Amino acid sequence: MSGPSENRDTRRDFFARTSDGLFGAALTHLLCQDFFDGASVLAAEADAVAHAAPGVFNLKPKQTHHPATATSVIHLFMNGGPSQMDLFDPKPVLNRMDGQPYPGNVEDIGNQGTADIGVMMGGQFKFARHGESGLWMADVLPHTSQMADDICLINSLWTDHPNHDNALYKIHSGRLFMGYPTFGAWTVYGLGSESQNLPAYVVLNDPLGPPKNGTRNWTSGFLPPVYQGTPFRPTGSPILNLKPQFDQPSAVTESARGLLNRLDEIHRKERPHNPDLDARIESYSLAARMQLSAGEALDLSRESRSTLSMYGVGEKLTDSYGRRCLLARRLVERGVRFVQIFMEEQPWDSHADLGPNHRGACERTDKPVAALLADLKERGLLESTLVIWGGEFGRTPTTQKSAAGYSGRDHNMQAFTSWMAGGGIKGGTAYGTTDDFGHAVVENPVSVHDFHATILHLLGLHHQKLFFERAGLEERLTGVKPARVVSEILS
Amino acid sequence: MNCRWGTVLLWFTVLGLPFRAGSAASGAGPAFETHVRPVFARKCGKCHSEKVQKGGLDLSSMAGVRRGGESGEAAIGETLDESLLWVYVEGGEMPPKGQTPLTEQELELLKHWISSGSRSEMPVEPEEKPLTQHDVLPIVLLRCVTCHGSRLQRGGVDLRTPELMLKSGKNGPALVPGDPDASLMIQRIESEACPPRDQLLKYFVRRPPQSDVETLRKWIAAGAPVVDVQPDVATTEPDPLVTEDDRKHWAFQSPVADQQTASIDEFIGARLQEHGLMLSPEAERDTLIRRAYLDLVGMPPSLDEWQRWHSSSDADWYTAMIDHLLASPHYGERWGRYWLDLAGYADSEGGVSADPVREVAWKYRDYVVRSFNEDTPYDRFLIEQLAGDELIDVEAANVVNDEMVSNLIATGFLRMGIDQTGSRTMNFVPERIGVIGDAINVIGSSVMGLTLECCRCHSHKYDALPQRDYYRFKAIFQGAFDEHDWLSFKNRKLEIGTPADRQRVAETNPPLQRALKHLEAQQRQAIANVQIELLRGQYPDQLEADRLATLAALKIADNDRTLTQRTLVEMLQKAEALPGEQVSAAALAARRELANIEQQIIDVKRRMEPPLTIRALWDRGEPSPTYLLRRGEHDKPGPLVGPGVPSVLTDGRTPFVSEPPFPDGTPKTGRRLAFARWLTRPEHPLTARVFVNRVWYHHFGTGLVRSLENFGVKGERPSHPELLDWLAVEFVDRGWSIKELHRLLMNSRTYQQSSRVTDERVQRDPQNRLLSRMPLRRMNAEALRDSLLFVSGSLDDSPGGPPDPISVDRDGQVSVVPTSPGRWRRSIYSQYRRTEIPSLMATFDYPVMGPNCVERSVSTVSLQSLLLTNNEHVRELASAFASRIESLQNESNADDPKAQIDLVYQLALSRLPSDVERQLGVEALTELRNKWLGDRHAALETYCHTILNSAAFLYVD
Repeated sequence: MSGPSENRDTRRDFFARTSDGLFGAALTHLLCQDFFDGASVLAAEADAVAHAAPGVFNLKPKQTHHPATATSVIHLFMNGGPSQMDLFDPKPVLNRMDGQPYPGNVEDIGNQGTADIGVMMGGQFKFARHGESGLWMADVLPHTSQMADDICLINSLWTDHPNHDNALYKIHSGRLFMGYPTFGAWTVYGLGSESQNLPAYVVLNDPLGPPKNGTRNWTSGFLPPVYQGTPFRPTGSPILNLKPQFDQPSAVTESARGLLNRLDEIHRKERPHNPDLDARIESYSLAARMQLSAGEALDLSRESRSTLSMYGVGEKLTDSYGRRCLLARRLVERGVRFVQIFMEEQPWDSHADLGPNHRGACERTDKPVAALLADLKERGLLESTLVIWGGEFGRTPTTQKSAAGYSGRDHNMQAFTSWMAGGGIKGGTAYGTTDDFGHAVVENPVSVHDFHATILHLLGLHHQKLFFERAGLEERLTGVKPARVVSEILS
Repeated sequence: MNCRWGTVLLWFTVLGLPFRAGSAASGAGPAFETHVRPVFARKCGKCHSEKVQKGGLDLSSMAGVRRGGESGEAAIGETLDESLLWVYVEGGEMPPKGQTPLTEQELELLKHWISSGSRSEMPVEPEEKPLTQHDVLPIVLLRCVTCHGSRLQRGGVDLRTPELMLKSGKNGPALVPGDPDASLMIQRIESEACPPRDQLLKYFVRRPPQSDVETLRKWIAAGAPVVDVQPDVATTEPDPLVTEDDRKHWAFQSPVADQQTASIDEFIGARLQEHGLMLSPEAERDTLIRRAYLDLVGMPPSLDEWQRWHSSSDADWYTAMIDHLLASPHYGERWGRYWLDLAGYADSEGGVSADPVREVAWKYRDYVVRSFNEDTPYDRFLIEQLAGDELIDVEAANVVNDEMVSNLIATGFLRMGIDQTGSRTMNFVPERIGVIGDAINVIGSSVMGLTLECCRCHSHKYDALPQRDYYRFKAIFQGAFDEHDWLSFKNRKLEIGTPADRQRVAETNPPLQRALKHLEAQQRQAIANVQIELLRGQYPDQLEADRLATLAALKIADNDRTLTQRTLVEMLQKAEALPGEQVSAAALAARRELANIEQQIIDVKRRMEPPLTIRALWDRGEPSPTYLLRRGEHDKPGPLVGPGVPSVLTDGRTPFVSEPPFPDGTPKTGRRLAFARWLTRPEHPLTARVFVNRVWYHHFGTGLVRSLENFGVKGERPSHPELLDWLAVEFVDRGWSIKELHRLLMNSRTYQQSSRVTDERVQRDPQNRLLSRMPLRRMNAEALRDSLLFVSGSLDDSPGGPPDPISVDRDGQVSVVPTSPGRWRRSIYSQYRRTEIPSLMATFDYPVMGPNCVERSVSTVSLQSLLLTNNEHVRELASAFASRIESLQNESNADDPKAQIDLVYQLALSRLPSDVERQLGVEALTELRNKWLGDRHAALETYCHTILNSAAFLYVD
């Protein structure tokens, strides 16, 4: 283990001194939040095990490598690859050449072959400049564009693979293959958690279903499972097994809990100096607290009517995404380090009918996303919350043949746009340039590794110093070759 | 050594002339011979001289500097930034940690020398190497042989060797020496006829870059010279890349047993004594029973068995119990599972989101379980898995027998990694090399205790494992794993069975297959019915045509749907996500019908004989040449290498010899067999050590060497080196018998110690590295689930065969389908798809195999507590447990809560409750009965559920 050093407080010693008897445990429990400067109780769950072994894996707050500008992240993942030339990166030359063949080598466009490639297709929506900064955005983003001065567009991202699977692994974990930790997992491995009662890394899924690649989008890979994302269920009880899945009077549950405490106390008393057992007792008490906290965090009825309507909650198109954006804010407010919002499968993957499909995806997300930014800003949370919007790759300037004729665009790994806001990002900036067709980066390229290094940087982590030793290798989110922090977009 | 080095150092300090910038008389910059070479010799010479060339780099001559190291790049370039050497030195990476860094002055000198043109006094002959066939073959292998090679000779052309290139196809020779323009292969490539644009993906080739075409042209223009280059293999000459010093690392020396000491307890006792400690008292009998059962078979004893050992008056009851457990078929299920972790076992290929199922991976699982149960000697076990196909000539055999089949199944060990090469788009050479890399990685980390992965791209940073050795190692597998002649799981099929197997399949399966086909058609219809009913129920006003259009839209890939189609599908998804109580009766009925059909499908599949298909690796006798890949990049070939094992594990003077195993039969290289035989030589420094250390780890919670997968320089030193060696030697002397090894360990006093920790022991032995007690350990995922099933009487203990299917609910919760209502098999027999690991297993640290798992982590998180307390399935098991208790009670004590509690403890914890626990139990049962309003069964169920949640159940003393 070689993440940032921990705040090794004396909590452990304290535990050792007071761990005799139920009273001791309860006392410790009550006191530790006050005495130890809010040291996370969630963190405590792996704490004891960790201290017994050389590899210390827990969610205690860790020291950063350098001062952070962001303490939490909301990642609005746009599955499927939103089209850069239709949303953020206007291409007048492309528009003029609408309907003509691609002037360069068609092989440069084709991912798997050239058979399906059609002609050039101009942007599907009208563009205008927005805000004082004059950022370009398409008219299907009427709300997001109002937040232009807080947003930094990165128009020059590129990735290594034109397939969804691999590009998804890449954008989430920095590698093209499954089994590697996602950058959310790296973040909580590096920083631990601020929350007392909630998971450090929360995933908000679409009630319609999981995204493409499913749980692998928030896996801890080879990092210990304590760092993986916890999906909150969109309906019913938010965390799986949070409440009994069988009928049992609550009085019985209470008795059972009391019995378990006493049994475990007897067991532990006979076995002093076994920190695992302390940790286990902690994990049961956190489980009990989580039942309360998670319910409270997810209860949107505590929000004002104006807030709800700002997010589009209750409106047909925006209700689902709006709820999740609002939840994200509530979670960040409560100290959750990393929140990811996914949509079902891949709504942006418009091989067919790109115009209507993109418009549809914008209609669901644009208003909630803008509301999230505005709301965070109003509450003073945007300063410390990094909001990231984007998918796994972009789209081609040419059309592609599909069942619906030539009406959509294929995947483009050579250029795509993502944006960031808050958490130390220079708002109102557009970074990087693509060619006349939006097909490839021509200036200031940003690799996925650079993108990740920049995110870690904002969080106070250095991508070279954050590593995990596995089978003799120092594994890093950003791979072997040092990545570049895109300092031009930092405020 | 130190002494010699001291002399050398002194020598150069005297002779090396200091250079000060601006002081050179001629005004020219510093010169290599006078100024720089002494610095290199002082600070770099230990590893980069003529004799020792770590990373392939020799800094003792200007030629060596220009040649550079294994990356193929010169050590110095035109500018500082282009000089690899400068980048390393300035960045502090070289000299490595622990060696004297360059002084400020030396750095300044080096900088000045490079930036002033890196002058040398002696003229440097530019090393212009003429092109040979080995500059061209890697290009042809990568771009051409898929259509013009062993499998396929398009146009009658085979391009695998220069001779064949000259020999021609239908349209004449592929090349005309001396005339590239007239050469067919150049014409075809330059006109883009080859590789054909529309078939790049079909044959998984990419077009050669211009630089490759230039190389081909130059070689042909030079007359297509063919030079006799021998592949780089170990010879009897000293190896410049690995020194004698490197070989001195403790783990690279053969283990030697201490003759004075004759038991584990003596080794452990002696060290404890040094620290003023002795072994802890022996654990109580019930503790030993539970410990041994969970350790060897992964489940607690049955009531009968517990009573048998608990009340035995035999002085040898303990050894008898160990023998009994080692003879149990459940032993192989427990210990085989550990091996499956090392192999990276999975029931799916992984790599792509479809995560295709590996239909017959389970045969390898069964092979492993059987091998453990039969106590196959470990050396034999390894040989079968590494080279089972080279043991008996199956292809030439008249009759296939069980041993042949088993040998082939064993090689599944090398096919367990993630493999996406069966996909439509992911079968290019880099992906294939990834699959090979995983197999090598698995062998290194699980069997050899070496991190071989590192030297795929560059020489190992810490261990003396040059990159060359990685590619020599890769060449061992070339006959079977040939990235230029690849068999993916889509295009290879091995169907082998004994005559009896064949007969069983032929008799049993055809009618069942017909039934299955019929059921599958019904299933499709039933799914459609459910969907239609859901739509009808939820959207009564929807047009029937739109409902049908929805079903049609589902058949279109989601990213090819129009917005209208997307909207329709989404309405269906919303209807599907509705909670049960909001779903129409018709839809519920349709769902029941579907479930019924699906159960029938499972039943039919269970009745089928397993197919004859085997997932194996086999040598095909025609390996492509193996080239070192610079920086591990598939299109940056370096020197030609031949098969070989890591030099540091040999005496450095013995070539690696392999020969075809069946000279008169099927052609095979015999390379893997030679490797396996080398690996299992009794004096091998790693094989026995690594394995006994693993077995030790499973019994004692920590390895004698804590880094189980790394015995290299960066691995941890053994806590008891003499004990490790003694065990390794004993293990080999006892015929590599794993069961004997268990006896050796478990019959020791060390193993039978109590796990109680005292203040003194925690102070003097805080980490328990001295083994002053047994560690308290939590059950792993398998032991926990199997114990839950066993204790509750819900275990179906039938062994082997196809894995039990899993089902995924709408929350993504994965559960195992029971084999009959309320009964499940052991966890090793569940299906482990990489993307769908049963939730209970995943929650208790079942690992992601990437490519394998050398050590499971043990986490203690609240999701575990939530699962055990609130999950429906766990509750069902608690309920079954309660019913079992009731059924075990006789009429006389049916009402006696004390008797119930005693039974619960005996079954779940293999002991009787203490007085306090019994009293607590009685009070709790009374209280629960009240709160359940007199429902005794419910009260007992809650009590049992609580016991299954208790630390006493989860942890093993």
